[in-house]
Amino acid sequence: MIKAILRIALVSISLMVCATAIARPVSYAGGWTLIETSNRASSAGLLHYTLNYNLSVGARYEWQRGSDTRVTAIQPTFLAKRWFGRDYQANLYFSGGIGTAERDVGGIENSETAKFVGVMADWETRSLFVSYEGRRMNLGQLGNQTMHAARVGWAPYEGDTGALHTWLMLEVDHREHMDERTSVTPLLRFFKGPALLEVGYNLSDSSPLFNFTYRF
Amino acid sequence: MNKTISLFIAAALSTSAYADDGKHEMKHHSGGQMNHADMNHDRGAEHDHGASHEHESHDHNAMAHDHGDMGMKAATITHTDEISAALANGGAPVVVDVLGVVCDFCATAMNKIFSKRDEVAAIYVDLDKKTLSLVINDGSDLSDKQIEKLAKQAGYRIAAIRRDSEAMGG
Repeated sequence: MIKAILRIALVSISLMVCATAIARPVSYAGGWTLIETSNRASSAGLLHYTLNYNLSVGARYEWQRGSDTRVTAIQPTFLAKRWFGRDYQANLYFSGGIGTAERDVGGIENSETAKFVGVMADWETRSLFVSYEGRRMNLGQLGNQTMHAARVGWAPYEGDTGALHTWLMLEVDHREHMDERTSVTPLLRFFKGPALLEVGYNLSDSSPLFNFTYRF
Repeated sequence: MNKTISLFIAAALSTSAYADDGKHEMKHHSGGQMNHADMNHDRGAEHDHGASHEHESHDHNAMAHDHGDMGMKAATITHTDEISAALANGGAPVVVDVLGVVCDFCATAMNKIFSKRDEVAAIYVDLDKKTLSLVINDGSDLSDKQIEKLAKQAGYRIAAIRRDSEAMGG
């Protein structure tokens, strides 16, 4: 009974809200954002449109390299709260998604409904950054996945508007479905105008991290 | 995990996306005077004067007055080529103190939203001053309420608005 209620709740949430561990997954009203992420587990692209200051809806494609699983989903992201200060901003986002997951098993293409929910929280000033992201993904017969990731960051200087902003960051992630469950990734974030680029290297899995975001 | 997320979301959805970390009240300081009662006293982000504050000890007539160790000097318009040209064409200066402006994405959002308005001749988001500098076209008007609404569409909140001579610093 409890399991059934949880399942209904998860599907409902998936249809209502969304999230991804990217800088500002909700933009300004009427804005488009292209987000590419590539880490030790997957490569993904998300193109989203911000309907209102607290809601964006996007199309997501994710390739999970280890299992060669392809997920295509509609992903809404909901800004539940934003805390403002003169020198800081903090955000709480929820995300979800529903779509299809496909994997070739023994020459036969398996297709399942993909559902996921996520939560993301961040706090940042112009020189300090802390964030957390969690995501639970259900791929039917293709398996379930849970991911947690936390980040801290520091900017060695405060760049003004339009200047190149540079951040030194450290990410720790935990993925229950992977052999190396917990890993650490030091990375550099470069930020200029509407573009954000992150380059890092996962120390546990010896794999690169490459994230790119552009707002237009 | 599933249960936690469900409960978390239910609690969050029952509240506004914009949280009040103290008192956020947008104020327009008109003319050359700045009454202390009109100041935005943001407990979380700025300062709290407490109950025993002595108003007589301040010069309230200074437009860009400084509260000393409280760091409350009002920022003036940021001069860029575009802003200077718009002012030279008779545009009206407006300086908006914005809360939560910490990165270039914030600046991009403000630029995109405000630049769409015909009333706006020039715009600049200053991350150092945490201000939005606007020049309103001669003969046009953008009310405080409209500015507040546009800032909200960009995802931000306004702390104060200064216009004309106050925006120019005297």
